[in-house]
Amino acid sequence: MAETKENYDAYLAGEKPPNYKTLSGIELKQFYTADDVRQKDGVPGEYPFTRGIHQDMYRRRFWTRRQQTGFGTPEESNQRMKFLLSQGQTGLNCDPDVVTHLGLDPDYPLAEGDIGLAGTSISTLEDMERLFDGIPLDKVSTTIIIQPPGSAVMMAMYLLTARKRDIPQDKLIGTIMNDALNQLVGPTVEAVERFFPVEAGVRVGLDVMEYCVKHMPRWNILNINAYNMRETGISAVQEAAFALSLAADYIQRLIERGLSVDDFAGKIAFFCSMDIDFLEEIAKIRAMRRIWAKMLKERFGAKDLRSCWFRAAIQTSALRLTAQQPLNNIVRATIQTLAAVLAGTQSIHTTSYDEAYALPTEESHKLSIRLQQVIAYETNVTKTVDPLGGSYAIEWLTDKLEAEIQPLMRVIEDKGGFIECFKRGWVEEQVNEARYEYARRIENGQQLVVGVNVFRDEEEIKIDLFKQASDMQERRKQYIKAYKKNRDQEKVDKALDRLYHKATSVKRVNLFIPILEAVEAKATTGEIVNTLRKAENFEIRL
Amino acid sequence: MTTKAKTRIMMAKFGLDGHSNGIRIVSKWLQDAGFEIIYMGLYNTAEGVIKAALEEGVSIIGCSFLEGSHLFYVKRLVELTKEYKMNNVKLVVGGVIPPDDVLRLKELGVKEVYTPGAPRDVIIDGIKALTL
Repeated sequence: MAETKENYDAYLAGEKPPNYKTLSGIELKQFYTADDVRQKDGVPGEYPFTRGIHQDMYRRRFWTRRQQTGFGTPEESNQRMKFLLSQGQTGLNCDPDVVTHLGLDPDYPLAEGDIGLAGTSISTLEDMERLFDGIPLDKVSTTIIIQPPGSAVMMAMYLLTARKRDIPQDKLIGTIMNDALNQLVGPTVEAVERFFPVEAGVRVGLDVMEYCVKHMPRWNILNINAYNMRETGISAVQEAAFALSLAADYIQRLIERGLSVDDFAGKIAFFCSMDIDFLEEIAKIRAMRRIWAKMLKERFGAKDLRSCWFRAAIQTSALRLTAQQPLNNIVRATIQTLAAVLAGTQSIHTTSYDEAYALPTEESHKLSIRLQQVIAYETNVTKTVDPLGGSYAIEWLTDKLEAEIQPLMRVIEDKGGFIECFKRGWVEEQVNEARYEYARRIENGQQLVVGVNVFRDEEEIKIDLFKQASDMQERRKQYIKAYKKNRDQEKVDKALDRLYHKATSVKRVNLFIPILEAVEAKATTGEIVNTLRKAENFEIRL
Repeated sequence: MTTKAKTRIMMAKFGLDGHSNGIRIVSKWLQDAGFEIIYMGLYNTAEGVIKAALEEGVSIIGCSFLEGSHLFYVKRLVELTKEYKMNNVKLVVGGVIPPDDVLRLKELGVKEVYTPGAPRDVIIDGIKALTL
């Protein structure tokens, strides 16, 4: 009763947010008028594409419903992917486990406890075939979430799987993420460089890109992982500036390899977060589209307008999920998904409400798809393009974000680019500061979180949670041991030797084909990446 | 005024789980609250942390998990603390832990388990209570 009175007194006294700032710290005015809008952007589908890259947008086709999947063995993940497709998911998004991400096999000693936990275990060509069993690779677009050097191995496995099914490589549709710096848990040197040298990782990533550009016209070569950076607690401004700066580094390096910008820029996409600040997140995507278009045209001399299309895959922020009152997460995800739609993005993963506890269950995964379908089929927000275009506040925020993102990009450029800033630890400093600030704002009530620092419940609600098969890790360990025993070892050794020699040759050559041949000879993910480590004179630093 | 030596706390993540938001934030909170933090960071084995804990003479080991390997590693840590008779060293766990597993961890001997959203003061008070 006392609480009821307290809440009501607060209501009568006037309920005020602790501040009038966006998550990035931009102070909002009481209201905006036409005088606040600096730029006029014309119509969607026209340069600089602030209002969207297509004139007809969702009137022609909705965004791709692309829920991330991956756990346990490839067979288990295959079943979940088929289930999601049967529920109306329109693209696949598969995530290998951390063991695979780091270029290790399940029999690596420190891997034991992590096999198959937050992704699926992919060590062999056979694994990839099982993961995509019964899935038409030329019809369904697939994103493979993996960074170099593992991305080269996964790409090779995917190609060989298609080849066995007589699907030519130029028919494959999808994306290899291939971002060397951010895939693990955002841009922390601590997580990345102990398993593979950063520069060598970038190089192998570029090898994959070069191969795909030349041989796979429908394949996206790079998905800059802005999401994992953002999830550390950095702001929308930092997310955008970091991601665009990193993309500029890759573009520069591809040009240095002799490729023309219009050959590849249209195959670079972004993976961005949709955080809970509704207006700012929509404005962020609009600003990123404008900056990308101008950067490609003015700095890199792109002639093809497609090179100027900023395309974004979205995941609703998991950082905002609360373990307290988990059903509230459905509400958060709905708002974030709607923001992604109003921002005109290309594909969406709606994070499931139970993910503050575990991977999603089949049921919560399905709910995420249904949530997107309700927005797509019932709300009519898809029936006109960029419906928020021309809103004084949205246009002002778009300009404002652009005006904050660009100077930060210049700071990074002046320091030698994002990759350089990453290696020097500058990025990690920014990230750590942002993490502490994020926690501080929740602690001091500047950022209110329902169920956490306001409107807490004493009692906890019970929800059904996903559980891994109890013998899964043991089965994977046994599998990989048996696989290594029952193959033509001489063939494996020869293929790995060839890879080693190519990787250590004086004149740098593209390593993708030797990696593909090693996969074909039945070398495993761990063995191939170990060969690359050896060639770099690198030992895992634990 | 008597100067008391600071309580030493070891903070570590285990296996290949690289998610470090939680451990970074909580380490800073505890340091600001006057504890001495020995930050082991990522990619530790249970054996490595126990060895370091013995050398450093810590009284608390804070273990952080996100990907779900908490039971796997805590079982090993508990066995090792028994083997080395580390009766005075207490285990605390933080991270993404399903409610049923919170109970199982406590049955194994973990003193406190903090999940996402646990307020700073609750954690600091809880740790202080363990050092009394």
